[in-house]
Amino acid sequence: MEGGRTKSFRADALPAAPVACWKRSAGYVAVAAYLVLTFFVAQSSLGVQSLVLVAAVFGILAISLDLVAGMLGLYSLGQAGFFAIGAYLTAIAAADYEVNPFYLLPVVLVVAALAGILIGATSLRVSGLYFAITTFVFTLVLTVLATDLKITRGTQGLLGPTFPDFPESLEFLGTPVAWFVMIALLLALLLASGIRSSPLYPVLLSIRDAEPFAQAAGVRTSAIKIGVFALSAAMAGVAGWLFAFFGVVSPGQFDWAVSLNILVMILVGGINTTIGPVIGAVFVTMFPAVVNINPWLQEVLYGALSILAITVFPEGVVGLAKRLTLKQSKESPQTAAHSKPHGPIGGEAVPFSKKPASVVSTGEVSVDAGTGAADKEVIVECRGIVFGYGQGPKVLRNVDLAVKRGHIHGLIGPNGSGKSTLANIIAGRLRPHAGTTAVKGIVADGLSPSGRARLGLRRTFQAAQLVRELTTSQNVLVGLYTRVPGLIRRAAFWSLLPSGRRDGAWLQAQASAALQAAGAGGWIDRQVRDVPHGVEQLTQLASVCVAEPEIIILDEPATGLSAPEVEHLARILSGLKARGVTMIIIEHQTRFLFPLCDQITVLNAGEVILTSTADKVRADPLVRQVYLGE
Amino acid sequence: MLQIVLSGLAIGAVYGLVGMALAISFYVTRVINFAQGQLMMVAIMIVAAITAAGYSAWLGVIAGLICACLVAILSYVIAVRPILAFDRFSFGWLVSTLGFAVVVENIAAYIWGPTSRAFPPILHHISIHIGSAVLTGQQLLAIAVAVLLTVAFELVRKHTLFGKLGMAIASDPEMASAIGANTAVVAIAAFAVSGLFAGIAGVLIGPSTFANPYLGNTFGTYGFIAMMIGGGTEKPVAAMLGGLLLGVLAEGANALIDSQASDWFPFLVLVVVLIFTPKGLFSSGNPLLRLRPVPMAQR
Repeated sequence: MEGGRTKSFRADALPAAPVACWKRSAGYVAVAAYLVLTFFVAQSSLGVQSLVLVAAVFGILAISLDLVAGMLGLYSLGQAGFFAIGAYLTAIAAADYEVNPFYLLPVVLVVAALAGILIGATSLRVSGLYFAITTFVFTLVLTVLATDLKITRGTQGLLGPTFPDFPESLEFLGTPVAWFVMIALLLALLLASGIRSSPLYPVLLSIRDAEPFAQAAGVRTSAIKIGVFALSAAMAGVAGWLFAFFGVVSPGQFDWAVSLNILVMILVGGINTTIGPVIGAVFVTMFPAVVNINPWLQEVLYGALSILAITVFPEGVVGLAKRLTLKQSKESPQTAAHSKPHGPIGGEAVPFSKKPASVVSTGEVSVDAGTGAADKEVIVECRGIVFGYGQGPKVLRNVDLAVKRGHIHGLIGPNGSGKSTLANIIAGRLRPHAGTTAVKGIVADGLSPSGRARLGLRRTFQAAQLVRELTTSQNVLVGLYTRVPGLIRRAAFWSLLPSGRRDGAWLQAQASAALQAAGAGGWIDRQVRDVPHGVEQLTQLASVCVAEPEIIILDEPATGLSAPEVEHLARILSGLKARGVTMIIIEHQTRFLFPLCDQITVLNAGEVILTSTADKVRADPLVRQVYLGE
Repeated sequence: MLQIVLSGLAIGAVYGLVGMALAISFYVTRVINFAQGQLMMVAIMIVAAITAAGYSAWLGVIAGLICACLVAILSYVIAVRPILAFDRFSFGWLVSTLGFAVVVENIAAYIWGPTSRAFPPILHHISIHIGSAVLTGQQLLAIAVAVLLTVAFELVRKHTLFGKLGMAIASDPEMASAIGANTAVVAIAAFAVSGLFAGIAGVLIGPSTFANPYLGNTFGTYGFIAMMIGGGTEKPVAAMLGGLLLGVLAEGANALIDSQASDWFPFLVLVVVLIFTPKGLFSSGNPLLRLRPVPMAQR
């Protein structure tokens, strides 16, 4: 599946079509085979059935965890808690109030999702271990509640409802609960694989690995994290709903060790894969049934195996299988692709101006550069900016900056003079202690980085922030996030929707064209972890340009580029300027920067020394002293 | 009232020791050792086994503490080091330390059986009157030992090269190893100390819990709560303060609400503390919030 996707990301969508078609029919065959399997499970003996169905319920739980842990890097230990919410709600409502369990399904969905939103909103402001601990405490507390409350019947637990029978006409199908559980697992699998093949996937990974990059591309990262966590919680709740039909619901089935066991499942099976969590769930749940020895020794063996799996194969079963198959297929086709991009990148690239169909041109009705009145409009303005890190001395002291529409505005100064800090303040990453920033005449002080990105302001980072396990073109797709309406809504069914396929092809074409234009055309299908530093810079640039922004902040764009690449970069930037794009460029290579700039601001020790044209800056005695080194 | 406070402090000292043990290993490696409670159990089981074999209880105590240290080092070598070597920020240790706990617990259950065994009373049979309150010698010992160990730990941390090395590794392991600190040795030492603390906690509480292979989880959880409400993730000493507070609150809840209240009351305290001061009550800053290093580009 991984291979299929990278193939379809090629520049021209036409040759990719048969691959997609073949892939879809393979998908239909797999679903049909799954349904046949379900039929046999539904006919089988109770023993086999309970083994398979418990594994399937845990498969759903593992997929729900993988959505947040694999794609967003949020290691939730709260899955057992949401699982408990679903199971207890169902069991209590059915036992005490005799509610039809089917009416409870939407209730369970909503309650679990709300609990997810609540936990997420309180703990997701910071990721990492704090999130794991908060969710861990959530599970602890729920288990204690289930043990001590009267309504949950303490440690004894209570009996769940029985599943209604099929109507007579459908009785040949076998046990109804088996069908429900297996189809729920299928839906969970389809949901996960749908998201993985949608353009939302690179966006999610960018939130996981390079959150500043995602925010700079206009992604509301916190909202997406909370949303995906709520989805994951709802899935775990549904797993609990299904689990209630299996018999007794008691606190021991939902304690924190269960949460950790779900984590074991995805780590053993392969994190951030579609099928891995299910493989892990099958392994963990069936282990006690298959390995029939002394119960203590069996636990010892289980513990030892999980340590062994995580230390020796950190990528899990699927990761291992993938690496083995890659090793075999990598030999021949990769070498051909490898030799090509080693030459000077600038040489084989197509400059923006020669390729009007590509990135910056489509339908952008921007102000013509250099034409009278529009030239005077101030598009980015900082007034009285004061900023310092922590208790330290002030990095910026009362800085004023005014950038005019259509200008290239250089920002130079010695190291530590506050250039990048100022760029971060304009982009919204840092909040100044005093002073205001206006973008396009709008006071932007309250706007987040993603809010400013949606205003049409994009930026690159001094040290490229990219997702290393994705290809360069997938990284560029993140830059297109704001240009696809309803991306999140459609993500789960992306490859099934005609609009999804159409938009997908358009997105890929855009991303490839942007990379071509930036001069990284030879690296389109390469993972970012395999490309040199210069290509990372060009990928950043492409991901910014592809969004057709009005303002671009470039933080040392020429770092790590060879001389011909720098020349090519200068041509790209001139091309952007010709289309009316405003640029703020931080750079040390004055030979590259000065010819491009309309205006240059010189910073020294947090203060503006001078704002003027290149010639005047070069001639200024103070600038020569503090920066140019005379 | 005095009775509640004093017996609360006594049980709180045990929670605090387990919390400190968790905090010490976390301090250096940024790993929460889920097997911490099991280390305590190992000490208890060894003491019980050696005394049952007819040797002196004090010999048992020494052997138990040594075993707890050894198992702690083993947990680092088997379940923590390989994970951190692969990726220092990976969360794989959640799984591997739990796996280690499962292994240790079930080996103990296999060797000694799942039922409780006798534990030597040590000072449990002495009763001491303080004002209106009556404490056992064991309870007083727990409070005294906890205070002593806390002070000693803080002195070592602040005033010896080894302690400072630990602080350096805690804040930036790569930098520390760049200036020549052997991070592995310091980490092993930290795990050994954490095993020692957990073992001592076990010896202190053993006379009232008896020796059971499954008591690790309960005390591990309470130790975790002590660490979190105290803020021991930043300062291990804060975990002891958290533990003492937790002990007094739990005893108070048992006496004032109902006799089962200590089952759920600590969790309520934990939730309230985490909502209002996620950093913990006695901590100055919370390292959890800055676990992932900020890339230079964001500066």
